[in-house]
Amino acid sequence: MKRSSIIALLVLGAILGLLFNLGPDKTRGVQGQVYQLLSPFLTSGSGIQKQITQVRTGLKSLEELERDNNALQTENRQLKATNQALRDVEHEVNRLRHALNYRERSVFKLVPAEIIARDSSTWWHTVTINRGKEDKIEGDMPVVTDEGLVGKTTTVSENISIVLLVSDENCKVAASVEGTREQGIVSGERVTGGLTPMLNLNFLSKQANLQPGQKSFTSGVGGVFPSGLLIGAVKSFRTRELDGQAQLTPAVDLSHLEDVFVVTGRK
Amino acid sequence: MIFFAILLVLIFVAQIAEFFIPALPWLYNAHIYLVPLIVFYGAMVLPFPFMLALAFYAGILLDTLTVQVIGPRVEISLGWSILLYAVLAGIMQGLRPLFVRGRWEVHCVMAGVCTSAIILAQYFMITFRRGTFTFPREVWWQIGAPGLIAILISPIVFYILHWIAQATYPNLPGRDRFE
Repeated sequence: MKRSSIIALLVLGAILGLLFNLGPDKTRGVQGQVYQLLSPFLTSGSGIQKQITQVRTGLKSLEELERDNNALQTENRQLKATNQALRDVEHEVNRLRHALNYRERSVFKLVPAEIIARDSSTWWHTVTINRGKEDKIEGDMPVVTDEGLVGKTTTVSENISIVLLVSDENCKVAASVEGTREQGIVSGERVTGGLTPMLNLNFLSKQANLQPGQKSFTSGVGGVFPSGLLIGAVKSFRTRELDGQAQLTPAVDLSHLEDVFVVTGRK
Repeated sequence: MIFFAILLVLIFVAQIAEFFIPALPWLYNAHIYLVPLIVFYGAMVLPFPFMLALAFYAGILLDTLTVQVIGPRVEISLGWSILLYAVLAGIMQGLRPLFVRGRWEVHCVMAGVCTSAIILAQYFMITFRRGTFTFPREVWWQIGAPGLIAILISPIVFYILHWIAQATYPNLPGRDRFE
């Protein structure tokens, strides 16, 4: 072996030794800096991707147009029917909204963010958002949409952050189920084969007997996620040797996320 | 040196591109990986120290972009991908005599196998960390499919890279044969 090769091997070995011993803070620091370096490329790449997607979705065959037309006509008839019913509901909603004073009850400070990149790896479920330390974002902040919980921030750089999705096995959320006293921990699945990832609500009692459609909310235990955020709806329930486990359909369509809010605190 | 710099730029571009290439839902959400192909081509034509440098660069990029730091815990330490790339690139470099003789098909297949090996190693590491050793069908697809895709696209990628190498790299192994 040449001397230069041996030196290169030794240098690489030394660097590896150094990297393997980096703590979480330093790892986060290195990660944040690399993301910071990539942020202009990711942001502009996201813009280009959106333009391409728009052009691609704009191109439809005659068959697709006809199918769309039929679907729209059916939808139109349904909407006309529901429109009348909604007028009555609207009145009631206005009354209730006034009573509840919803805006004032909303206790969270929300920072709007746009998703600029999705995870490029096979085993981790993350997205990258265009907000960072400059917008007062920190690690472990909940990320939501108006539909429910999305995940939490992990690594944060100056103007870009990584969001660990609720569908990732590492994202653990303390949860409760509506209409019951059941509490458990929601986490994603390690491997998802389909487009829609499913969530598991573990450590329920064996007698929980949850029914499909029952909603699960964050319980606020643990300190990261405030209570009352919708996580998903029960799809199925099964008992295991020691506990009960429910499978949840996420409230948020995680595969088509575009805009999210980061909860930075309470008002 | 120019060719080495070109490879560094290409790896950077490919890594960014991977963010925007959607997973394939009809293949159990398998991803398309371009960076390993560039690294493995580099391993075939570059000298050993440069191959290690390339493995370091690609590995650190991959690690920083995928490693998860959950609270006080780093799931996979920075550096593992560098080690993986270095070992796999070393294997590819060991097959250089075949490349010089024009037997590219071996490298195309090996590029696929090594791409899958990286994903398999990642899966082993997260499984070791998280517990519950499971191997459902989806896992095999998500490991195997990127390898198959790499085998399919590697001839094109290698051809383009070889074309660039012929134009910019005077020490290309087997240059006289290719010319």
